[in-house]
Amino acid sequence: MPLELENISILKQESSLFDPLTLVIGPGEVATVMGPSGCGKSTLLSAVSGSLDKVFTLKGSIRLDGQDMLSLPMEERNIGILFQDDLLFPHMDIGKNLAFAIPPQKSRVKKNQIINTALKTAGLEGFANRDPSSLSGGQKARISLLRSLLAKPRALLLDEPFSSLDQTLKKKIRSFVFSQIKKMNIPALLVTHDPKDCPEGGVVINLNKEDNLYA
Amino acid sequence: MAHLKGQGKTFIFPVFIMGSFCITILAGLLGTLLPSLNYLPVIGHTQISLKPWLDFFSYPGIKTSIRVTLFSGLATSFGVVSLAFLFISFFYGNALWKFFEKILSPVLSIPHAAFAIGFGFLIAPSGWLVRMVSPGMTGFVYPPDWVFLNDPEGVSLAIGLVIKEFPFLIMVAMGALGQLEIEKTILAGKALGYQKEQVWLKILIPRLYPHLRLSIFAIIAYSLSVVDMAIILGPSSPPTLAVLILKWFNDPDVNFKLMAAAGSLFLFSMVGLSILFVFFMERAVCFFLRFRITNGKRRSFPARFKSIVFFMVAGIIFFTGAASVVLVIWSVTWRWQFPDVFPIVWTLKLWAKGLASSFDPVMTTVITGMASAFIGLVLTIGCLEHDADSKKNQTLNYNTYIHYFLYLPLLIPQITFMAGIQLSLVILGMDGYWITLVWSHLLFVLPYMFISLSATYRAYDTRFTDQAMLLKRSYPSVLFRVKLPMLLKPVLFSFAIGFCVSVAQYIPTMLVGAGRFSTITTQVVNLASGSDRRAIAVYALIQQSLAMIIYAVAVISPKILYYNKKGMQV
Repeated sequence: MPLELENISILKQESSLFDPLTLVIGPGEVATVMGPSGCGKSTLLSAVSGSLDKVFTLKGSIRLDGQDMLSLPMEERNIGILFQDDLLFPHMDIGKNLAFAIPPQKSRVKKNQIINTALKTAGLEGFANRDPSSLSGGQKARISLLRSLLAKPRALLLDEPFSSLDQTLKKKIRSFVFSQIKKMNIPALLVTHDPKDCPEGGVVINLNKEDNLYA
Repeated sequence: MAHLKGQGKTFIFPVFIMGSFCITILAGLLGTLLPSLNYLPVIGHTQISLKPWLDFFSYPGIKTSIRVTLFSGLATSFGVVSLAFLFISFFYGNALWKFFEKILSPVLSIPHAAFAIGFGFLIAPSGWLVRMVSPGMTGFVYPPDWVFLNDPEGVSLAIGLVIKEFPFLIMVAMGALGQLEIEKTILAGKALGYQKEQVWLKILIPRLYPHLRLSIFAIIAYSLSVVDMAIILGPSSPPTLAVLILKWFNDPDVNFKLMAAAGSLFLFSMVGLSILFVFFMERAVCFFLRFRITNGKRRSFPARFKSIVFFMVAGIIFFTGAASVVLVIWSVTWRWQFPDVFPIVWTLKLWAKGLASSFDPVMTTVITGMASAFIGLVLTIGCLEHDADSKKNQTLNYNTYIHYFLYLPLLIPQITFMAGIQLSLVILGMDGYWITLVWSHLLFVLPYMFISLSATYRAYDTRFTDQAMLLKRSYPSVLFRVKLPMLLKPVLFSFAIGFCVSVAQYIPTMLVGAGRFSTITTQVVNLASGSDRRAIAVYALIQQSLAMIIYAVAVISPKILYYNKKGMQV
């Protein structure tokens, strides 16, 4: 189920933020949109997720698995976002943070199983009862990704998810994130200003006005 | 972005509040205006005339009453405002300020009536202060026959009011000061050779004032029309206008109600003119002082000035604390002769008696307080959710003018429109219901709850709710499982404030309750004129502890609930 952006442009008071953008992301693929801060990368993500601010007008079409997204409200699009900050809920322990994202299950046991399996994949077994603030930056980033994926999104948007991590951590988390996306087999769209964030061999688009460079 | 399912409909909260506040207050004013024109069919008056007004102005002692009311009300307002500005200018951020910040909430939770009774026990001729220095320093073996407490000019009332209103204005100022860049401004001023106090007076206070304007108006209205504190601390023959009006309303002769209506409208006009006067004063000060701000003079106040302010604020803290302590002592006294500093025989008998006999009023107080604080919380959160929704969607925000509606009940003398509401309810045959009592409390509970919750609620990091929405896709579960639990501390705090405000209500309970509901507060005020200080102390402490208990629960329970969540302990 590919995510297709066709001729997307976003206008603020009649002037467009960037040149029309067309992009097809297949399942398990991560496409990257690059550009300096303020070029409209995050605005592009909010257009895809459905949280675009009313001051902007959106032109073009967005389809996920062939279904038109623009006519759907945010809560029915089923698209997840991973932000730069982990945004783990500070009043819930790690297990509850993950449980919050899991769609309703028949039993509590089943839910706990899902949580434990998820924690195992991230190498964080036994963390269910931990307080989020007791985790390291890298651990929080992994939990945050797991939480986004447990909501079973049909596509994932990544908004500079690695920029608050230091160099050594960044490498680890990056490969963890990309491998999980591949495993889930969903399309992902990454926006960043750091060329080192992009996955090898993925599509990279520079978001510029006037001259779009396709790599 | 589309409205979230459910959140888009939250506009009904501000609309409901503005509409119902408007209707209630208009009904209240109309219910006062008609009787003041001799129109009150329930007691057979249908001939429109100005007789109630003529009766009012020719009532014996009315001129003294008006004069005393004006003096105590305006002296209080002037005292509170100038002391607050001086305190902020001299002490912002230092040790005294920080100490005041710490004790502010418990101090504010003390009901007016309980404080007034304790304060009276301190300053009375036979009060604790005189006892402390007698007979050693004064030679008094019998209480002196001063008339300081309940003095005919209302000085003791004004001092009591200043002590009680000062912390309120400081609380409002603390909220506003967070929005001004104080450290940077002071630094910039100092770099230009101004002293800190001069930067405050020339730059920061003029910027702070607009944030405090409505609260200052509310203080003026309150000081001119206060009833419970005026009964306890004010003069008695004649009493202040508001007390006199209440007496007329409760007179067995129903014809007094007409004069009372005229009097309460006169009180309303006194408040209105005073507020108008302050409004024009503000303009005049702006006009005449604008050159002084830029005259370049950099000299500072003499240090003596600073120590005067220090002693006054220290005095406020001392009197507030000592008023509670003396209540505790009196409540466990069996025999305490003048001029002993402490009782000679102690007992818990009066507590046993007081707790037993106050059970019903306490239950009424608690249930009414809980109900009005809960409804207040639902309405406040509803409004603030509408705020969040309209901000996100760039749609019409119905909250833009809600402040003015919320402040209305605080700017009109309680007795003016509460009496009118009661008369309207009598006409509709709906007087004396518990639910109307709750609504009348809500008129005062809601504004304070809204003021206390809105700043923190609006500062909430909405990325958490955005993320939660993406994960869960259900607005109610995001609101109830993520946003409100994260805001638990300010939400409970606001609930406690609402409860405390409800506990302290005297006039609405007396008038709208139509005498059918007796709360701990009506008991305290009615007992205040009695002679058994021990019994009064027990009742006042019960009233005070109701407020304190809820406040303590609100502060402690988030700490217990989130004891192992470090991220929630900021």
